[in-house]
Amino acid sequence: MSLRNKAAIAGIGETPTDRLGSKPGEARKSSAEYLTWAMCLALEDAGLALKDFQGQGLGVTIPTAYPQPFWPEEAAEILGITPGFLQGGATGGAGAVSLLGAMAAAINSGIIDIALVIGAAAPFSEHWGGGIQPGDMRDWEIPYGTMGPNSKIAMVMRRYMHEYGATLDHFGKIAVAARYHASLNPLAYLRKPITVEDYKESRLVADPVRLLDCVMPANGGRAYILASPQRAKSLRRKPVYLKGFGERSNPSYGPRAGSDALIMGVKDAGKVAMEMAEVKHPDIDFLQLYDDYVIVVYLQIEDLGFCAKGDVSFYERTDFTFKGQLPIQTGGGMINCGQPSTAGGTLHVIEAVRQLRGEAAERQVAKANTGLVTGLGVLPYGKNLGCCAVAILGDEL
Amino acid sequence: MAEVDVRKPLPAITSEAKPFWDAAAQSKLVMQRCQDCRAWVWTPRPLCNECGSERVEWTPMSGTGEVYSFTVIRQVVGRAASKAFEPDIPYVVAWIDLDEGPRMITNIVGCPVEQVKLGMKVSVTFEQASTDVWLPKFKPVEN
Repeated sequence: MSLRNKAAIAGIGETPTDRLGSKPGEARKSSAEYLTWAMCLALEDAGLALKDFQGQGLGVTIPTAYPQPFWPEEAAEILGITPGFLQGGATGGAGAVSLLGAMAAAINSGIIDIALVIGAAAPFSEHWGGGIQPGDMRDWEIPYGTMGPNSKIAMVMRRYMHEYGATLDHFGKIAVAARYHASLNPLAYLRKPITVEDYKESRLVADPVRLLDCVMPANGGRAYILASPQRAKSLRRKPVYLKGFGERSNPSYGPRAGSDALIMGVKDAGKVAMEMAEVKHPDIDFLQLYDDYVIVVYLQIEDLGFCAKGDVSFYERTDFTFKGQLPIQTGGGMINCGQPSTAGGTLHVIEAVRQLRGEAAERQVAKANTGLVTGLGVLPYGKNLGCCAVAILGDEL
Repeated sequence: MAEVDVRKPLPAITSEAKPFWDAAAQSKLVMQRCQDCRAWVWTPRPLCNECGSERVEWTPMSGTGEVYSFTVIRQVVGRAASKAFEPDIPYVVAWIDLDEGPRMITNIVGCPVEQVKLGMKVSVTFEQASTDVWLPKFKPVEN
């Protein structure tokens, strides 16, 4: 079954982010405050009220910073909604894009007509520092002194450089393009332009991963409203249609006990999404790629099929800015706008909507009719990212 | 304020993994292998991840492999228990591809961190972490 043109984004909301006093005047904000704030912004954007969501869809990403199994229900209580279809985004950082597919399917089935999806977390205020949960990480990683995602991605990055000859100049180009876009985005947190030299000279965090490779944790909230196309057309904003959706969780390329850690599941999720959307690579005007690390952005470009695997020359000759041949991260991405835990990925959906509405101001892509958004989550044992969701959005039916 | 636990975190000896730890205490590296499709299964599972067979049996490994990738840990971050690794800094966390195929996360020991290279041949060595747990780590193969 296809979800092409079966749902449309009718509203978006993005709060500013904060890092608890890292910038002067920043207020301490709880998850509940960000949740509510993001919802209010999205309701205002769409011209809707709380009562419009009674008995309808509510999707809430589940943050890792403060794991609470009943968080989606508690979020409904905080917001004052009685949903008819409540979903927790359980694919880690891919949650916001996964929920786009889940809610579109629910809308298409007729059980709901409209859905509110929120990603909000305040890891700086509410980080839960306790115990280690059962699983591979507890039993097979942490006893060796692994230091979280940085040390795992470092191994992916080093292997990639070894196999394909990519250098810090290639990765630096992506970091610079994203920061350039952030400098044009009033809601970005890190807005001072950087050079490839700045990238190369930034502090080593987990060799070869540097500070400017890494996403920046922050408190924040982001929301979008998805509706049936008929409903979306009756609302005040120009609808942005879901054209295609694909998801792959626990992907493995090669034997599961020792798969190719340099290939990402977006390879297959992207293929499914593009077939559903009936688009080819040249039809896609921009990419908003889940960016926990620069190497992850880099790998997605090739695994989505925009260039051959390992073709480092593509990165040398391509302009990734909003003015270029393949604009990426046009608002700066999470690396520059901040990652409120696994809620962070909502950012990419919102930036795609802005571009497709033609509301991206100084960083507007000139021809923006079709955009591709990804969400990624979870770093499983010995593999690349474990949850991969791809959505294609378009400005026309 | 609660006292910070500075002991290194240990694996839980689950029912699936107990044969692995029992063998490790005897300085033997074993992994599950499917008796139907012959695939290796790692980490320990109740069934074969490739064909779904429940006929997975613990099988001795050569204990040799090569470095697929690695990082050098030079600072501890994150959860409180990470502090326990501070005295070991700098140390190597690596992905080792065993000769039979499975990939393990482990430490490279027995050589300076600067000497670790991708593709380097390594062999298993066991380090006692508690009464019951001997962690398989890897050291460079002598030429």
